[in-house]
Amino acid sequence: MTAQEQLVLSVPVKVPLHLGLPEGTPVAVSVRDLNLYYGEVQALKDICIDIAAKQVTAFIGPSGCGKSTLLRCFNRMNDLIPSCRTEGSIILGERDIQKKTINVAELRRQVGMVFQKPNPFPKTIYENVAYGLRIQGIKRRRQLDESVEWALRGAALWDEVKDRLTESALGLSGGQQQRLVIARAIAVQPEIILLDEPCSSLDPISTLKVEELINDLKERYSIVIVTHNMQQAARVSDRTAFMYLGEMIEYGDTDQVFTNPGKKRTEDYITGRYG
Amino acid sequence: MQRRKKAPARTSGDTQWVWLNAAAVSACILLVLGLLLLITVRGLGHFWPTRVHEFIVQDEQGNQSRLVGQIGEHEKVSAERLGEQAETLDGENGFVTRVLVKSGNRDVTGQDFHWIFQEHILRQRSPSSMAVLEREEWGAFFGFVVGLKSNGVLLRSRDVWGDFQLLLNQARQLRNEIDHLQKDEIGSINYQMERLRLKERGVQLKGEASPQILVAIAQERQQLQSSYQQLETRLDALNESARQNSVIMRIGTGEESDIDLPLAGIIAAWQPNAMSVTAQLQHFFRQLWLFVSGDPREANTEGGIFPAIVGTMLMVLLMTVFVTPLGVVAGVYLKEYARQGFLTRIIRIAVNNLAGVPSIVYGVFGLGFFVYTLGGSIDRLFFSAALPSPTFGTGGLFWASLTLALLTLPTVIVATEEGLSRIPRTIREGSLALGATQWETLWRTILPMASPGIMTGVILAVARAAGEVAPLMLVGVVKLAPALPLDGDYPFIHLDRKFMHLGFHIYDVGFQSPNVEAARPLVYATALLLVSVILLLNISAIGVRNRLREKYRGLET
Repeated sequence: MTAQEQLVLSVPVKVPLHLGLPEGTPVAVSVRDLNLYYGEVQALKDICIDIAAKQVTAFIGPSGCGKSTLLRCFNRMNDLIPSCRTEGSIILGERDIQKKTINVAELRRQVGMVFQKPNPFPKTIYENVAYGLRIQGIKRRRQLDESVEWALRGAALWDEVKDRLTESALGLSGGQQQRLVIARAIAVQPEIILLDEPCSSLDPISTLKVEELINDLKERYSIVIVTHNMQQAARVSDRTAFMYLGEMIEYGDTDQVFTNPGKKRTEDYITGRYG
Repeated sequence: MQRRKKAPARTSGDTQWVWLNAAAVSACILLVLGLLLLITVRGLGHFWPTRVHEFIVQDEQGNQSRLVGQIGEHEKVSAERLGEQAETLDGENGFVTRVLVKSGNRDVTGQDFHWIFQEHILRQRSPSSMAVLEREEWGAFFGFVVGLKSNGVLLRSRDVWGDFQLLLNQARQLRNEIDHLQKDEIGSINYQMERLRLKERGVQLKGEASPQILVAIAQERQQLQSSYQQLETRLDALNESARQNSVIMRIGTGEESDIDLPLAGIIAAWQPNAMSVTAQLQHFFRQLWLFVSGDPREANTEGGIFPAIVGTMLMVLLMTVFVTPLGVVAGVYLKEYARQGFLTRIIRIAVNNLAGVPSIVYGVFGLGFFVYTLGGSIDRLFFSAALPSPTFGTGGLFWASLTLALLTLPTVIVATEEGLSRIPRTIREGSLALGATQWETLWRTILPMASPGIMTGVILAVARAAGEVAPLMLVGVVKLAPALPLDGDYPFIHLDRKFMHLGFHIYDVGFQSPNVEAARPLVYATALLLVSVILLLNISAIGVRNRLREKYRGLET
């Protein structure tokens, strides 16, 4: 994380068009000329974007615009889709994570992800949070206990579950499950957390809690969130990127994108003319 | 809710065919219940102390004769079919009733089942002192106990039946002792002798036969020999005392029909006509227990089926041990690792086709490949000392289990693939997103979650394997195995031994026995037991699956 803060992009930049970050802002991820194909269909077109470190970046856009696909590029989740093929580069910590030689498991430890639907494992609450740590080979009970408590506190769930750590995680409510999954993600202390529509299956109160949590988390992590809900993007994010049909249309300060969009399309979308 | 209100009006056209479904289900249930009822009644009836009747029969020529026996069944036969046999009978509408009487005493009369016509029976009574003897040989014996003899001298006795039971108990204890000596102790010595012989032959073959080793072997053999001699003298003494006592049985009406039966050959005696209901129940359960726990006698038509139960269970358990890891690994590879394409499709089709191959083909394969090829090689490499008599080069528990494992492999592979594909993608992604490799994801999350599905496959495999007979006849099941595959001699479980199997036992008793009538109840009883064993194995497997399901519940949400 420390190296990340000081990192100012050192890779030659061909298209500095939509970088959209003020001079000197620390960068967590730089995407350059990213093209992605599902078989013959091109899902992402020449994406160039710099994600700011320790800020919340929101991707908005109509369904099928490629925002989730872009998000899943950051931890190579698209590798699971056999027909998927990418070009271009994604720089994370001075490495191009698109390269074949990258240790994907190692990368995913650095880039945590939370999915649309809560997906706790059918294990106890404790084991869910400890999962990533056990994978890293941590076996000492004390260390695990400490990390689990720390992660659950970090996800604002500790007070609700501290007496039932050995119960099945499937007994939690949807909102609790989603926060548990966030706790699971932060337990391995990633640098970046990707949130793929984290509140789409939650009730308003749970959504509120998760949004508060996102606000707390940006102290320590760089957060990228994909959302359908424009109010949510406006509430939680510092920067917003608007995508349309696989292209990055506009990227900038959230206030500016919402109040004074630079592109007609963005304005149409935000004001609800389509999408 | 709204939908439900609408439904009756719209689906009234559909519901008129629901009775068809209900009828099909009822037919299935009736068939299964009928089957179970038949084998239960026929099988368990064998153990009930049936009354023994004394019939006075008058045949066509007017000759009267006396017949003692149990009624097996009544049958209505058309007089036409019986031909001249039934010419003089009146019958009803051309049908006459005949009775199958089990008269026992096969050694005396030469025939233990008789058909008699109901009309020929003049008198019928069931004297309460009529006794039934179960014997080691020659089947049941019916008659009256009139006296006891010891060393040929008539014993004076006030209560002949009571003393008879006492002596019988003594005889039973003696027999148990003799059995124990013969089977366990002498059997164990024989086993050690054989090992010693193989050891000697082994060192000779390897050319390591130094005088010291040979002397040591000879000494050991000497020891075994002497303990064998000791056992043998004890055995002789026991046999001698077992032969001392005998019982006098009267099968006719006068003294001239008395017969001496040595007590050593009598297993049990009871008076069915004098029994109360409690005594009958007691007798029933004792006989049932003896059937389940005893060894077979008289070419399997008498006695118990314990070795067959052990053989079946052991074979199925071993089969499960072989097939589960193999099937799961294959299924996991096909589903998770192999590139999906033409080749995997071909493999899947092949696997599904394997499930449809007749089981006897697997038996032939097991014999040709496992027994002759693999077993032959193993013998040459590791058991050359025993050659030319084969160790693994002949059918046995190991090869039978492997053959059945092969037979049930497709079931487990398909179930594993099914189970894996039922795991939601989000779980997989969740694990991978935490930095787990594909293997870690599989091992820690996917496989445990798929385990109920895999268990379903194992249950089906167990059900199929337990009921399979044909291939086993080729790869290791025998009519009568000299020893259990599980005993107290190292290495305790003998994979090379031949074994008995309930399914084959049914076939053997039902179709290969010389006395079909006598064997028939045993066929039902064995069938009932086979069904029970399969049920037991299935229930335990289902229990395991339900526990797993409970543990990984919530998959479907």
